[in-house]
Amino acid sequence: MSELASSELSETTSLSQIEVVLAQQVNAGKDPNEEPVRKARMSNLVVYCDQPQVFETIQNTVPDIVAQHPARVILVVKEPGEVDGQVQGAVNVWCHLGGGPRQRICSEQITLRARSRGVDHLPYAVRGLLLGDLPTNLWWATNTPPPFAGNLLQDLADRAQQIIYDSIGWPEPARGVAATSAWLTGIERSNGNGAWRVASDVNWRRLKYWRRILAQALDPTTAPGALDSITEIAIDHGPHAVIQAWELVSWLASRLGWQIGGGKIQPNVEIAWKVQATHGPLTVKINRLAEGPTAIRRVRIACTIDGARTAINLTDEGKEILRVTLEGQDAAARTVMMPPQPLHDLIARQLTDRERDSVFLESMAVAKVFAQSLLK
Amino acid sequence: MGSRNMATLTKENPLMSGAAKTLFPQPCILVIFGAAGDLAWRKLLPAIYNLNLDGVLPSNFAVVGFGLGAKGDPDGWIRDRAKEGIQHFSRHPFDQRRFDDYARALFFVEGSFNDAHAFERLKAKLEVVDAQFSTANNRIFYMSIPPSLVDMSVGHLKAAGMVRDNEDAGAFTRVIVEKPIGHDLDSAREINASVAQAFHEDQTYRIDHYLGKETVQNLLVLRFANSILEPLWNGKYVDHVQITVAEEEGVGSRLGYYEGVGALRDMVQNHILQVLCMTAMEPPFSLAPNVVRDAKTEVLHCLRPLTPNDVETSVVRAQYIAGEIDGQVVPGYRREVADYFAKANKPIPGDSTTETYVAMRVFIDNWRWAGVPFYLRTGKRLPKRASEVAIQFRAVPQILFNANPDVPLEPTVLSIRVQPEEGLALRIATKLPGPKVRIYPVKMEFNYNTGFGGSSPEAYERLLLDVMAGDATLFMRRDQVETAWQFVMPILESWEHSRVRYLPEYRAGTWGPLEADKLIEADRRQWRTV
Repeated sequence: MSELASSELSETTSLSQIEVVLAQQVNAGKDPNEEPVRKARMSNLVVYCDQPQVFETIQNTVPDIVAQHPARVILVVKEPGEVDGQVQGAVNVWCHLGGGPRQRICSEQITLRARSRGVDHLPYAVRGLLLGDLPTNLWWATNTPPPFAGNLLQDLADRAQQIIYDSIGWPEPARGVAATSAWLTGIERSNGNGAWRVASDVNWRRLKYWRRILAQALDPTTAPGALDSITEIAIDHGPHAVIQAWELVSWLASRLGWQIGGGKIQPNVEIAWKVQATHGPLTVKINRLAEGPTAIRRVRIACTIDGARTAINLTDEGKEILRVTLEGQDAAARTVMMPPQPLHDLIARQLTDRERDSVFLESMAVAKVFAQSLLK
Repeated sequence: MGSRNMATLTKENPLMSGAAKTLFPQPCILVIFGAAGDLAWRKLLPAIYNLNLDGVLPSNFAVVGFGLGAKGDPDGWIRDRAKEGIQHFSRHPFDQRRFDDYARALFFVEGSFNDAHAFERLKAKLEVVDAQFSTANNRIFYMSIPPSLVDMSVGHLKAAGMVRDNEDAGAFTRVIVEKPIGHDLDSAREINASVAQAFHEDQTYRIDHYLGKETVQNLLVLRFANSILEPLWNGKYVDHVQITVAEEEGVGSRLGYYEGVGALRDMVQNHILQVLCMTAMEPPFSLAPNVVRDAKTEVLHCLRPLTPNDVETSVVRAQYIAGEIDGQVVPGYRREVADYFAKANKPIPGDSTTETYVAMRVFIDNWRWAGVPFYLRTGKRLPKRASEVAIQFRAVPQILFNANPDVPLEPTVLSIRVQPEEGLALRIATKLPGPKVRIYPVKMEFNYNTGFGGSSPEAYERLLLDVMAGDATLFMRRDQVETAWQFVMPILESWEHSRVRYLPEYRAGTWGPLEADKLIEADRRQWRTV
């Protein structure tokens, strides 16, 4: 792929003219020597946001998403203000050269804006713009956990096969996690009549490498006895990444069959839980670092390997490398590459990853128990 | 067969349950025999670098090269060579910091394959690396060496105690065998028997990189995940199938190997027949490695054996003469042979009869494909590099739109491009706008890169990961290899006995000899322009 280019965002367009203006923009500026422009569309991607700064982020992210996963993007924006008005539309196209030096491949973006009660009309506008026979995804790009979103999310997700949300930075993590876990069981649909639907948390996707390296570090073939002897897990995370850490310990607890006991929270500093494993009690701590990237930075697992007490440390060195060391042992540190995970890459990959993730759902069920222990 | 590995070496790890096997390749040392060679330089070492960058390698992993050719410090030498290979051939661009992380787990042991002491040194090195990287005594030996050295190498590995029986040892030892697996049926059997002396079949991974290509794997999905296609995928609706593997390049640096081997052994016996199997196989009842491989092997068993007369009428071989590629004049094959041997100060062989092009018509005698010809062709110095499988469907009856014999309808064709520009296209007939009914063929295309973005992993990346995960689905089983050789042997024998010193020729930069055109035109069909 090369030479990403975009048309200017069009003037405000009436909804009935959107397809016409899109067709004009796709062919605008086409060199007569070029082959016919190809519209590439693998999905409908409906994005909802309600914050100006989030809109900016998404507007900057869309070209990279569609370069990786061509889609018709319908960006739905709730604008501030109390005055009602009609839904406003604007379009632009994102093109790159591909399939040959004279072949332009374009993806379409439609931006719909509304304010106040006009927001209620957005789902109607979206329905008319969805392309048939393509998977439809809703990216819920707001700071509001989906269960608290009300009817708007339900309406926008009406035809969606996947709802993508991002739990990073949610206010009131315990409340958000508990509610979302319950919401997940209701929002996912089975395969009846093709009307299946899944929900995915971008934050869970960010954990992919952490889960992989933890599974390897604790593997019985290389760390005999470790899984059955854990006495403490401590996770350090940067600001706003508490739910990421939470989902990681929930995954461990669900896979290892731990029973959750009491928890206590020191807001913005530490959450600690007592947990019962089959081999005995253990402590789980999530510590917030005052600064640094919004991500998990270190996981420390106290355990016994081959009869010797030790602790496995997994540290994100901040250079796309995870370092694995064993406390009190001379073995050389092992390293694993952790490729960067920019937002556009996470979203683009999630668009093609549409299978029901039972490991995620089971982890979230445990996350709910963790949360309830704090909400008591 | 394939499940024995997993059951014995993997103690239960609940953290891996519910995840695809390839997401959790097992800790191991990959030992590359012939690490100083071309394949390691161009493909294997860059593939491992890419896997590392993608974060999919096991955390406990190291690579040890073995062979001759190191200069100075062996570890430093292989790291420099890997760096150079990555800079030239890697999918991901070279990055020094990332390379440093890769290089710290890369080692080399200098030694000859016929030197038992060298194998002892290798064993000692592996033990050191194993302790350093906690690879749980798991080993993968990649035989990136000529077939003539496999027997000796496997024997030394076994003698040095480096091959563990999985069931006894609790750690795995696997071997990857590169093509060519023999130069005829007997030698293939010998190699297989040599490998079998030390390795069980479920420890043996015979690699054909074509099977690691996304489009080849997609053949299975395309056929069995689309209800519109499978009902049509048989002789009732398919007129014929063409499988083409065209190369723009000449023999180049592989001439020493290629002379006396030729296109039939180099391409047809392995790549093309494997793709044919994927195209023609019956639906497997599961995706378990041996179920899929059974289904593929069935196709080979159903190939109609070729009699000497069939070879005369259904197989064409040819050799390129001087011509033009990309505006550059290029020499003929015999000129290249003469130059190569002169440069190497070796006796120049007489006029070479090594074929650089093969075209053939084969039949699969089973219920599904009875009477449907499969046309296979491969050649070097053709106008472009392109590999595809094309399914041409039968013409509609000669009424309505197909009534005028002077303006026949172009047939419906589903073409699956294996390389480059992996993807698929469907040619269908459509009405031209206007008052008159005029029909025009249109092509609907899907391109992997355009559709899914990013760069697909190289075939070797996927296949290496599969070996680490113990998944043999995309590897050739012993009986497959030998059955494929059984099919091509009558051709080789017929050519051997014909004593013909003249081969049809084709000009470099053309689509092959006239004889190949006649072969398909005799059936009132044409080769496709790919």
